[in-house]
Amino acid sequence: MATTLRAKSKKRKAPAKNGSAKWVGQPIRRKEEDRLVRGKGIFVDDQKLMGMLHIRFVRSSYGHAKITRLDVSKAAALPGVVCTLTGAEVKGMVQPFIQIGSDPGQKIADYPMAVDKVVFQGEPVAAVVAETRLIAEDAAELVEVEYEPLPPVLTAEDALKDESLVHPQMGTNRNWHGVFEYGDIGKAFKQAAHVVHIGRLHFHRFSSTPLENNAVIAVWDPRSERIEYWSNNSFPAFAAQFLSPALGVGIDQILMKSFDIGGGFGIKITNYPYMAVCALASRKTGGRPIKWTETRTEHMQASAHGNERTFLDTRVALDKNGVITAIDSRHVDDCGAFPRYEPLGCVIWAQVLPGAYRVKNVRIDMNQVVTNKCPVGPNRGYSRMQQLWFMERILDICGHTLGVSTDEMRLRNYIRKEEMPYTTPNGCVYDSGDYAGMLALAKKLIGWDDWKKKQAAARKEGRWIGMGIGSTLDSGTNNFGQAQIINKFAPFSGQSKAANAKLDIYGEVVISMGSVPQGQGHETTAAQVVADVLGISPDLVKVKPGFDTEQNVYTGHTGTYASQFAVTGLSAIHGAAVKLRKEMSRLAAWSLKAKENDLEFGIGAQGPEVRDQRTKKSMNYWALANLVNVNNAGMPETLWDVTLNCRHVYHAPFQVPDVKRKYGNLTLTYAAQIHVAAIEVDRETFQPKILAYACVDDCGRTINPRIVEGQVHGCTAHGIGAALMENCAYDSDGNLLASTFSDYTPITAVNMPDLLYGHMESPSPFSYNGAKGMGEGGAAPVHTLCAALQDALYSSGVIIDDSHNTGDSIFRALQRASSGGFASMVRVEHPRASR
Amino acid sequence: MEIKFNGGFTVRKTPQEVYDFLVDPNRFCPLLPDYQSMEILDAKNFLVKLSVGISHIRGIAAVKMSLVEAERPTRAVYEGKGDVPGGSASLRAGFDLQASPGGETKVVWLGQSNVVGRIASLAGGMLEPLAKKNVQRLIDGLQKALE
Repeated sequence: MATTLRAKSKKRKAPAKNGSAKWVGQPIRRKEEDRLVRGKGIFVDDQKLMGMLHIRFVRSSYGHAKITRLDVSKAAALPGVVCTLTGAEVKGMVQPFIQIGSDPGQKIADYPMAVDKVVFQGEPVAAVVAETRLIAEDAAELVEVEYEPLPPVLTAEDALKDESLVHPQMGTNRNWHGVFEYGDIGKAFKQAAHVVHIGRLHFHRFSSTPLENNAVIAVWDPRSERIEYWSNNSFPAFAAQFLSPALGVGIDQILMKSFDIGGGFGIKITNYPYMAVCALASRKTGGRPIKWTETRTEHMQASAHGNERTFLDTRVALDKNGVITAIDSRHVDDCGAFPRYEPLGCVIWAQVLPGAYRVKNVRIDMNQVVTNKCPVGPNRGYSRMQQLWFMERILDICGHTLGVSTDEMRLRNYIRKEEMPYTTPNGCVYDSGDYAGMLALAKKLIGWDDWKKKQAAARKEGRWIGMGIGSTLDSGTNNFGQAQIINKFAPFSGQSKAANAKLDIYGEVVISMGSVPQGQGHETTAAQVVADVLGISPDLVKVKPGFDTEQNVYTGHTGTYASQFAVTGLSAIHGAAVKLRKEMSRLAAWSLKAKENDLEFGIGAQGPEVRDQRTKKSMNYWALANLVNVNNAGMPETLWDVTLNCRHVYHAPFQVPDVKRKYGNLTLTYAAQIHVAAIEVDRETFQPKILAYACVDDCGRTINPRIVEGQVHGCTAHGIGAALMENCAYDSDGNLLASTFSDYTPITAVNMPDLLYGHMESPSPFSYNGAKGMGEGGAAPVHTLCAALQDALYSSGVIIDDSHNTGDSIFRALQRASSGGFASMVRVEHPRASR
Repeated sequence: MEIKFNGGFTVRKTPQEVYDFLVDPNRFCPLLPDYQSMEILDAKNFLVKLSVGISHIRGIAAVKMSLVEAERPTRAVYEGKGDVPGGSASLRAGFDLQASPGGETKVVWLGQSNVVGRIASLAGGMLEPLAKKNVQRLIDGLQKALE
């Protein structure tokens, strides 16, 4: 079982509950824990509606094939079956989903079910709707489908050859291409002391594996023509924008509800195709509720995977001290069969273009291809983690090649604390951070110098022990304007969140915000912020989480994604609470015959109150609310605008990027994590084993240290699992080889090492509270463990060229190394020396 | 996933006798492992029902077989395609017959199967040894029937 060993830090004093307390920054227990631990969470599958039917999908066995025959008659005839749906039928009922990208991606016809050919294993080809889930499952087995296999496209390189086309109407498999070029690449390479060529690197597919799979209940009301959704989609405002044109209904006719969600980390953003089919099934059955709860195998095969990326023909220019001066590379992102949130990943990586480093001259030829694999979706650290891994691999490979130690290589290249705010070559602004200081703390936590001695001694015994560092950024609060770099006509930009603060009739403070947390503790942190504004305690603040188009305030950006709640969500809540406080002050000043400046907020004998410091007269919240809502005769007209129901929309201060130059600020804040690990590769089994692990986090001003630490634990576990265990691998026919947890082997508590945890605070100058979004973690362990394996195996001739490393792959890498397989992969030139 | 096997054996029968046996579905098909029944569609096509599966994933697979190459008395090749529980499978089984001294025939065979779907994903690791076992059963049965 993993434990956390904390760095010593100044002990926080518990606040006195006297109205002047500052709750922000306190490690209070999560408000939502009591409800969730006692089974009082409101999850989709808990809901049972009158007349509800169950849908089951028939899915493609093939990765790429024509459908030559589809017969649902036997399924339809089974007692208990209400209706069936086929892809051809669905095609007649909907429009293809909108495509975010420009041509040729615009030519993709993405229907929620396969029409005449399947393009990934697990793609729905038919659906059966029945009175019970079991009948639906039995009936689905009776659907007869015949296929004519087509050659599957399974790697980025094969996709670029265009020999077999996933979507023939595109004429190519490359759905997006753009060159991101900054600085003077030619000059930098000419002036370089060393140029390191790296042949091919590969970031593998893995996913978020939430405990709760996708789930939807849809009701298409035939009277009102409204569609009501209850789902665990984590970006419902976005899903509605996809569903509305596809289903041919106005967006105000789509009611979205998302409440408790059992994990997700982005992967549930793209479950809208299933939401569409459920609505169509409801319409076909005359408006009966349709429930779909996904099985684990369905989730693994056909929900969404994280992006896979291949890095080709990389050249790195360095000066004589090992400082990287330029990078030139070609990147190919594999988005699977349909670009359902893509090709946004083709620009999102650019939020962290140089990683934590000062390199000024960069040229990345960015491509995205479609393949016969499960479509990708945003996955914790989405698109940035691939770029950060690439930067970290470059650092390590160059460091080892030039004989510069892994820690020294980073110190020579890190952006300095005093350079913050730092503008990257593509116009992003890193708000604050002290990467060298974080590394020093991480090294101290793990006992770096002692480990180096142990490593040297172990190497003499022939053991493979390596030390690795992973420097990662968690960019939060994205500027949707970056979508215009992908498609200049994309009607998105900026970032906003809405919140509502209300003093209810009986004086209860109620906050609603439309966020859909999946473990991020929004109820708690929101209550902490409001408690500080009103001088009360968090347990006196009722926070209504979840998204409900009829009850919550929201904007088109509302959802939980992109590490931003601490900035956007809390800024909106803070703004709403400040407005509420102002209204309460005006009301109390009139009622108490006091001046607003003489009023103070706090807790008195009758609970939360507003009091006149001069006269000591006070009004509790009930009395204030009563004045507005039910006892308002005599209230002066000047106070009629006081509703005690205050909405605030936070707008992040963004501009639309320069689309032509691909230049601009793409994200508001940059949290950072520096991880350090010691790893050993067993010489008999080749299995890697983590010997020690330290993680240091800096997410600016911390709202709740307990929640932050939990998030760091979570992202570390996710990253360790990804690095050493989890892989959505396919065979050469397009069969997913990990469609159950026993094959995918997600990380569990027993696989987790003890974590040494340290924390630093570099407040963001760009958020009202100095906080930065965090929680995605940037896959820090993937970078760290690859670096540690590189250190362990470099002397054996191995180059760690893949983000996923197991005993089996390490064995094969060592075999490849012994036959000189890596010799041509990394090559060094010394341009200045040769002149 | 693709599974390939090959091998050879010698029987005390002439190539003509072996060929006639191989291209007669009534004699050949019952040798298929876990054979249940057969329906002849025409001279070269027939539907075979087999009980197939791994562990708890079991069921009846209807495999449509075709004799795609028939060169008396040197070569016979079958191709089949069908749905299995949790997926689909295609197969190709070829027999090359060479006359040997003493009226014997050397049978050189090649078996190739492609399995797709959930079954390949769930039980991929078990399919190859299972297929190997079943192919061996077929060849043993064939050898015995020809003796």
